[in-house]
This record gives sequence, C-alpha cells and structure tokens, in this order.
Amino acid sequence: MVQIVISSKAGEGPAEWLLVELQGEMVSRQNTGLAGNLMGDLHYTKEGVPVLVVGHHILYGKQVKLEKPFDEEENMETNQENPTSYTVSALIKKKLIFKTRPKPIITNVPKKV
Amino acid sequence: SAKYCPILTNHKSMESLFIHLIIRGDKDEHAVLCNEDETYDLKIADTSNLLLFVPGCKTPDQLPDISASPQLVHAQIWGFSNCYWELRRQRPRLKKLKKLLMENPYDGPAVGMQEEAPGPKYTMDDLLERIQASREEIEAHLQNVHACEIDGFWRILDFDYEMKLLGHVTQLVDSESWSFSKVPLSVCLEELGSLEPKSMIEHCLNCYGRRYSNEDGQVIYALDEDKVCRATAQLLLQNAVKFNLSEFQEVWQQSVPEGMSARLDQLRGLALLDRSSKPETISLLRIEDLPEDTLERFNSLFSLREKWTQDDIEPYIQDLCGEKQTTGALLTKHARSSVQNGVKVYNSRRPIAT
Repeated sequence: MVQIVISSKAGEGPAEWLLVELQGEMVSRQNTGLAGNLMGDLHYTKEGVPVLVVGHHILYGKQVKLEKPFDEEENMETNQENPTSYTVSALIKKKLIFKTRPKPIITNVPKKV
Repeated sequence: SAKYCPILTNHKSMESLFIHLIIRGDKDEHAVLCNEDETYDLKIADTSNLLLFVPGCKTPDQLPDISASPQLVHAQIWGFSNCYWELRRQRPRLKKLKKLLMENPYDGPAVGMQEEAPGPKYTMDDLLERIQASREEIEAHLQNVHACEIDGFWRILDFDYEMKLLGHVTQLVDSESWSFSKVPLSVCLEELGSLEPKSMIEHCLNCYGRRYSNEDGQVIYALDEDKVCRATAQLLLQNAVKFNLSEFQEVWQQSVPEGMSARLDQLRGLALLDRSSKPETISLLRIEDLPEDTLERFNSLFSLREKWTQDDIEPYIQDLCGEKQTTGALLTKHARSSVQNGVKVYNSRRPIAT
C-alpha cells in the first residue's frame, strides 16, 4: 500500500493565500501561455468590492468567506528512494469570486455631433 | 518543478499549526486521508470555474484605510487549477485488521524448547502500512478485538485460548470467594502464573474487567458481567448451527460463573433469535462476520432472513451510520417497510436470492 505524508513546513504553520475564482477560461493574447505574463489589475472600491480589469474587460466580483477552507499542497520531487510526500503551502479561507459577465471597457465614446 | 494540488477540507483541525496527514491506499482501493484519529474519503471534483491561487494578496479588510494616494502592489499568481480534492469523513475500513491478525492467532507460549510455529506477524507500523485508518482508530479496534502486543507484534488470541485464560480467572474468583468487583491482580498473577504467562493473565483481566486501585494502592479488577456472559455464549453457540432457545438459555446460565446473570440482551450483534419458529431457536451471527460495505451488508442480512424488525436488525447496521445519521434513516434508504401481524418489518428493496 502507498502512504503519502502531508505535513506543514517545520517550525511554521501554513501561510494564508487568497483564491480568485473566475467563470470561464483565461487565455493569453497570442496563445503564448500564461506563465510570466501580466494577468490584469485588481482594484477594490471604497465599499470593498473587488474589481478586476483583464485586457479590455472589467469584471465585478465579491469577497466570500469559505465555509470549507482549502489546503494548498505542494508536491515535492519524488526520487526512487523516498516515497512521494506533500507539504502544505497554504490555507485558503476566503476567495474573490467573479461571476458576472465581463463588460468591455470603451474608452472613447464618440459624441453625437 | 513543484506542482500544486488544492484539497477542500471540512474540519477545523486542518487549521492547526502543525499539520500531519497521511494518504493511504492499495492499488485497488480508493485513497483515504487520515489525521491522528479520523479517516476521510478523497474524491476529485471538477469545476468549470478557474481557480487562481495568489499568495499574499490582501483583501479590503486587510489593507490600511488610506484614502490619500493610490497604492500599486504586485501580486503573483502562483498557480491555477480546474479541479480539487474533496474530503468526506467516513468510518475507517477496519475489517482487514482482524483478517490480518487471524492469519496467525496466538494460542499460548511455545511448549518446551520449541519455537513458536512460523506465521505472519505485524507490528503497528506494518498495520499502518496495510489498513486504511488513522492510528487512533486502529488502536481502538485492536482493543475491541482483544489483541495484545507480544514481542513487538500485535497478536489476536485464539478464541479457545482466550476462554481458557478466562476460565482460570473465574475459577480462582470462585475458589477464593471474591466479589466479582474486587479481583486483586497480584493474587491472580501469583496463583495462575504457573499455568499461563503473567502477561496473558493480566491481558485477560484487562479485556474482561475494569482496572482500578483501591485505598491501599493495590491494583484491582471489576469483572464485566456482560462481557463474560457474552463470551460464554459465543463459546456455546459456535459449536452448532442452531440451538433450541430455551435449552440454550439453561445451559448458558449454568456455564457462566455462579452469581452472574445471563440475559439475552447481552447477545446483541452476536446472536440471532428466531421467535417465529417452533420451538424458538438461537444461532450465532456476529457482526464482524458480515460484509463491511453498506449495500453488501444489507444484501447479506436480507438473504439470511427475508423480513426483519427494527429491533432485530439494529445491532447489525448500527456501525454503518454516518455522522449524524440514524439507523431509521439507513433503513428508509436501503429497505422497504411493511406491517406484518401488527408489527413493522423491513425487507430488501431489490430481489435477493435466498
């Protein structure tokens, strides 16, 4: 039988990360892959509403406390002798969820003459 | 490079400072996740949403209330996922534990100069490697099956040997005219130590009695009447398929230590009464001999007997209940009810070959 150990890093508890949940798929402009690219800007309004600007779209979301927290696990390199083990990198207790349809940002609206 | 895997937890203990969890499973088993004392089912769940993990990204409540200049903070997305693992608390799969230990039951020390016959033996670490349960759940079950650690290996006693040990103890109690609740350990070890290893005598007392200290600091045991009578009943019942109920009750009462009362309610989960036959009968039916899986358990019970009253079936399905689930709810889910002779009975929802 396999036994895989999950432990937190010695001497410290896991960090707290934020989860950002989006409906749909994220693609890069020329299909160059997502790694290393700027995704977008995250703003908070005075009322604390999260606003995401991605490309020329704007999305409004809300902050939600997770009833069931997420454990985020990091898989360490396996080698022949050691069995696979995971360390808990982080706990996620809340998320920003963007469920509304992205709106295109139109910066220049021609005025009626 | 590191890979990330999110697990959806549902337990406050996952937030404790030092997390130590273990995923266990054989190739043909569903993986389970265990902490020190609980077992959870692991199931992968898909979502059409994109989950992005952003370390250190702050939410409005965590940012200082500066309405002055706008702040630009760089936050890096560490990874993303479309799926996650869901945990669901489940009862641990412990039937395998007894099965492993029964490969080589212990029936007393080797006679004379002979070594004990070879056979598979398991240490606690071996058991943790083989059983899909947490350490505490395994330890509790070892106590339930009266296993003991001999030379570092966990052994289950051969039942006849266990009864032999109990017989020595109850005969000593009788000849010394002790009260069942005042059995002194030291005298037992002194008087019986020549017949059996002292560790075995003490193990027997631990299984069938409650240990305490008296005013003088001596270790005393209070024998458990229900456990002693129950074991005696098993010894009798395992010798035949069925017994005439009233004959059995007579023999059983005569077999238990004088002063103890043998009562039918002591046999729940051990024996099945048939009050519809003439004469009424009783037979051995141990819950540990039945399948562990819920559906298989119900099929097995309904193939033994077509219709069950709730009172009769309850001891054989009690352990199947999930957290906050009642046996009534289980019966509603897995059985169909009807009324027979004014009594509510349950039968299978599907056709069963009897």
